[in-house]
Amino acid sequence: MAIELPAGVSQDAVAEFVLSLADDELILGHRDSEWTGFAPILEEDIAFSNIAQDEMGHSLVWFTLLEQMGEKNADAMAFERLWQDFRCCRFVQYPKGDFAYAVVRQYLFDAAENVRLQALMKSSAKPLRDISERIIREENYHLMHSQGLVERLGDATDESHKKMQHAVDIAFPQALGLFEKLNTEPELVSNKVFPGNDVLCAEWMKEVVPVLTKSTLHLPVAERDGGYVANVKSDVGGRQGEHTDHLRRLIEDMQSVYRTVPGGKW
Amino acid sequence: MLPEKSPEQHLADFEARVARGDKVEPGDWMPEDYRKNLIRMMGQHAHSEIVGQLPEGKWIPYAPGFRRKLTLVAKVQDEAGHGQLLYRAAETLGKSREDMMEELLSGKAKYANVFNYPTPTWADVGVIGWLVDTAAVINQSMLAQSSYGPYGRAMKRICYEEAFHIKQGYDIVATLAKGTPEQRKMAQDSINRWWYPTLMMSGPPDTLSVHSQQALKWRIKTKSNEQVRQEFVDLIVPQIRALGFEVPDKDCRYDEKSGHYQYTQPDWDELKRVINGDGPCNKERLDSRRKTHEDGRWVREALAAKGKKASQPVA
Amino acid sequence: MDTQWETYEVFHQSRKGEPHEYVGSVHAPDPQMALQMARDQFARRLRCVSLWVVRSKDVTMTDYQDENFFAQVTDKSYRDPKAFEAPEKDGH
Repeated sequence: MAIELPAGVSQDAVAEFVLSLADDELILGHRDSEWTGFAPILEEDIAFSNIAQDEMGHSLVWFTLLEQMGEKNADAMAFERLWQDFRCCRFVQYPKGDFAYAVVRQYLFDAAENVRLQALMKSSAKPLRDISERIIREENYHLMHSQGLVERLGDATDESHKKMQHAVDIAFPQALGLFEKLNTEPELVSNKVFPGNDVLCAEWMKEVVPVLTKSTLHLPVAERDGGYVANVKSDVGGRQGEHTDHLRRLIEDMQSVYRTVPGGKW
Repeated sequence: MLPEKSPEQHLADFEARVARGDKVEPGDWMPEDYRKNLIRMMGQHAHSEIVGQLPEGKWIPYAPGFRRKLTLVAKVQDEAGHGQLLYRAAETLGKSREDMMEELLSGKAKYANVFNYPTPTWADVGVIGWLVDTAAVINQSMLAQSSYGPYGRAMKRICYEEAFHIKQGYDIVATLAKGTPEQRKMAQDSINRWWYPTLMMSGPPDTLSVHSQQALKWRIKTKSNEQVRQEFVDLIVPQIRALGFEVPDKDCRYDEKSGHYQYTQPDWDELKRVINGDGPCNKERLDSRRKTHEDGRWVREALAAKGKKASQPVA
Repeated sequence: MDTQWETYEVFHQSRKGEPHEYVGSVHAPDPQMALQMARDQFARRLRCVSLWVVRSKDVTMTDYQDENFFAQVTDKSYRDPKAFEAPEKDGH
């Protein structure tokens, strides 16, 4: 099976890219769902559960595209694949942490997702354009929600500021890993499937640095050429399958029931 | 100004209104015991929803397959939503959500006994949705007719969403019924474990329940505990058998004369023990809620402080 | 200290042209978050094109116990179209 792609772009290259999107959304959605029943207040419990469902729903959309490209179906991809074969960034793998970390991670991810989807809405690959136009509508709301929490909690009280700054210190280098280069990136960039992770990262920083700074949260970045560069090492490896042990445990849990009856119905 | 009514006259008017099916709204005159009984019932009901998130929520990370995972998050989310609606309904009687929450966490307030039982297998997610929520809906459809307006309104919306809960639960069990022998056994074991705790949900026979008599008189509820339980048994027994499972009660049989299923009464002493804190998971459930409440305190305080700052008029 | 925030009353419009209807309340720290919380609690299943939130304490209410407020004690049926005979279809 095949999908409609511009000449010069291989299915494999697009598949690598789409898999990274699908796995990011699935694993972050899983982490978000760990807040269901445990959020600071009922209204926020409901909100986080919505976001978890949206993220997992988006991953399902990407997996469905992969199936059209000849991969196994979404359930097989999520519940039968070896953890080493996942291609999510390490950022989404880390445990749920406290609520400050959850909010900061969600914000940094949502901002990246918006930058990524906006770029994909101009992709030379029609299937990516179509999907991005669809799911960006929910992602816009996520960004409003998580950015709203960052802006409020950043300087609300001394305690909230401390917790949020601590979360930013941990999450920022991890978040840079969202933009780890793909193996097939030159092919994707030269054929205008997407502008490349360096470009996305630069746009993302233009988005998040002013918001965090205005929220009195400090980032290890320097201004350069009208943009920003990070002064910390990026937490990469996920796109190459070099995962944290957290992912191994998460996948073991996630697949534990499903795998007890191989090929069975649940 | 009209002459002040005497308390006796107020009570007589109130009872006459309620008896003819009129609804009571916040701000209406009501007997103090009516108010207290309602706050207690709605509070317990709200607590049951948010404690009830835990036994099933435990399985969210393990749910097998996309559809099950998404559905389970949505289901446990609804329980938070139902808690939210019910606390709000109770707040109309002048008790804050914070106070109700404190009473839950201090162990003073009760919640449904059924959520103090463990969920050791995936089948429990299905059986809770199917058995426990069926029993809950029978009770809640009755409460949707409650004389207290805000309670009835909350219940109507909750019943609508509970219909989804029952269907997803039934779907899980029906899938297990068609599965491997291990899957079937998992489901039967789960039915066996949940049968009596579910029967206990509608409460002890009304003759044993003080609150129940009063609630019936004032139409806070409109059916006795025994009626609700019988309705549940009549509805669920054929469903269990149709899926090829057994009802774990040898004496459960259809009685032609009455048109109802007969069943063995649950152990009411066990209910008393569990309600009073000595169930298999009471401590675990309350500890979990307490930790969530404490962990989230800084967020609630910070956002409250920020909201206050923002609403201050610019000098 | 009460950390459950203020309450906001929520009004929901299912489609343009329909009225906003009262659907319930949310606890929220400020109006903007109240809108978001209302969306997640009251519009996650229902179709919705618009939400309003109003601080509960800003709602002014009549008193249920003051039944005279709505009393109509003399015959006012003359305000009702049914109180008059309609012209025949041919205008007579």
